[in-house]
Amino acid sequence: MGWDGFLLLWCGLWAVVALVGLGRSLAGVTADQRKVRLTGRIVRVTQPRHGGSRKGGIAVVVRYRDPVSGEEVTVTNDGERGETITAAWEGREVGVGYPPGRPHAYRFSNAPEQPGRGLGRPALALFLLCAGLVALAAVRWGWPWVLIGVAGPWAVAGIVQLPRAVQEKAARLGRLAVLEAVPGRVVAVLRDVSVDDDGHTSTTITPVLSFTTRGGTAVTAYCPTDLPGQAGAYGRELTVHHDPSDPAVFTLDASAGRRSVERGVRYHVLMIVVLVATTVVGAVLL
Amino acid sequence: MTTAAGGPPSPNTPSDLALGFLTGGVIGASLAGFVSGCVLGRTPLIVLGLALPVGYGLVVFLASLPRRAREAAVVPSRALALIEALEAVGGETSDVPVRFELSVVPDDAPAFRVGIRQEINLVELPDYRPRGVVVVEYPPDRPWKARIVKRPTPEWERRAAGARLDSVPGPAMREEHGSGCAGGLLTVLGLLLGAGAVLLLFRTELFAAVEDGAGAPRPAVTSSFSSSSSATITVTSVTGTVALGPGQSMLDQGEPRKAVDSLMRDGEQRQALTVVVQDRQLTVVFDPAGGVPGAGSPSAGSPSAGSPGAGFPGTGQGLGFDPRSLPYDRIPGLVEEARSTLGVKSPKSWQLTADGITGALTLRIVVTGDGGSATLEADGRGQVLRRSGG
Repeated sequence: MGWDGFLLLWCGLWAVVALVGLGRSLAGVTADQRKVRLTGRIVRVTQPRHGGSRKGGIAVVVRYRDPVSGEEVTVTNDGERGETITAAWEGREVGVGYPPGRPHAYRFSNAPEQPGRGLGRPALALFLLCAGLVALAAVRWGWPWVLIGVAGPWAVAGIVQLPRAVQEKAARLGRLAVLEAVPGRVVAVLRDVSVDDDGHTSTTITPVLSFTTRGGTAVTAYCPTDLPGQAGAYGRELTVHHDPSDPAVFTLDASAGRRSVERGVRYHVLMIVVLVATTVVGAVLL
Repeated sequence: MTTAAGGPPSPNTPSDLALGFLTGGVIGASLAGFVSGCVLGRTPLIVLGLALPVGYGLVVFLASLPRRAREAAVVPSRALALIEALEAVGGETSDVPVRFELSVVPDDAPAFRVGIRQEINLVELPDYRPRGVVVVEYPPDRPWKARIVKRPTPEWERRAAGARLDSVPGPAMREEHGSGCAGGLLTVLGLLLGAGAVLLLFRTELFAAVEDGAGAPRPAVTSSFSSSSSATITVTSVTGTVALGPGQSMLDQGEPRKAVDSLMRDGEQRQALTVVVQDRQLTVVFDPAGGVPGAGSPSAGSPSAGSPGAGFPGTGQGLGFDPRSLPYDRIPGLVEEARSTLGVKSPKSWQLTADGITGALTLRIVVTGDGGSATLEADGRGQVLRRSGG
């Protein structure tokens, strides 16, 4: 059996996996579909200790109502508990999810989640199937098929997503235009030192901000961008521009945020051009 | 008081040892298979080397699913614990591993003593001191897997702040890490045996390849072995030879085609400069330039490869041709025709030479007998072009 045979076997295998996954999704029996999804509310926020670790996120106490017993359940984000909570305030709604019958295995999400369709694994299998088909085309008909097979679908996906990206850009610019500026302060600088397999040490510095919205909500959040001289930023006063409807969306430089949004669409268009050009080159070389 | 939950799992259980041995064997065999496949240029071996660990991992994963599901379904117990002793055991990161010895005092079960190891951030380390009270969580059926809850709920925080606990006498339960020295040795042994089995299986080809690579001036691959039909096959980077055993002849039905096929690897499209066929031997001189036809050109195996003017991709001069494209079925007939019609008395030997020197594929059959030799020329399709000599 040559490469052709093995690639056909690969494609057949992932096609079966994708079909089985799709069937399970249609039958509604995937773990994602059966997951219990609830809305919890943060009832206590503990300010991170200066010099501590960013691992585990900001320590919070969350309360949610058990759908079976109707009782209030109090949990914390101790250990591996899903998404890292990087912005917290008392009263913030977060998602709490767990497999059916196993509430002790709860996981947090930064926002209440919608029911899933369980198509993640079938999509991955489909991706691997497509990769196999591209490799098969390259083996049978020549390497330019790699260019066409890789760049072509991404170019199509990029073109399809472009109108949505433009709409999102307008929406984000709209949100940036109504940001509220409030005073904030660096209340802690977290420091995580890690050593890789080669013995190289790397340090991650995370400033922690505290600010109060005009509505009186006291927010504690990891700084989303680097600060100049952030290792010594403890106690620094600064201005925080936050979305009045969602304090988790904030920036320290509103104009930089606008530039970033503009750049995002430009990069999107540039990537489409590069991918289309790659596809054309592949077609010409055939 | 001691726990009623039983002790930690004893190390070196037969199943652990067997799994370690098997894992080592699979790693060794897949590594050796992959490397051997690369050296010998065998696609199935390369793919097997990659697929074996994946398949094995999948099987182990599926086999452990019930156990993991059973463990995940166990609701962990929560209890207060007294820190008997703690010791940071090094580490260069901000989270240092710390060895704790705890007296765990559950509300509804006997107290027990346990030794655990857990990473604690350097900044939080002063919060943990001997005789301090912490909240721990553990699976009731495996209390040696206890861990300190760093962020307990307010209720447990209050309980821990106001608790006064007594030490639990007796030795501490500890989780046994790994399967000990014997397990490690068995894993290494499995690895060596797995690798050795593969190397043993392909020893002849591998050693021939290594020797050829070390001694010969330029051959890329050499393999020599005896097949079931007693043919000896030798392949180097520039030539390939098949020598038939006693009682066999290249004039036998299908023999020359089988010989050429045995010189070409699966899916290979090497081009030949010359093919020489004698009564019990076939030799192919390969195009050293590689000779894989480009896309869109007359490909290997196509009928046009032997026709005049079709071109022979694979060399800059256009002399190469696909050795499989020769009209092998016509060879016995052509040889017989050369022996019987060219006037050679008592023909003793014959030789067919195929090349594309003149631009088109040409077959020359020289028959030698008493008093001289004669030549018969045919085209790439086996059609006789001219006769001479005799």
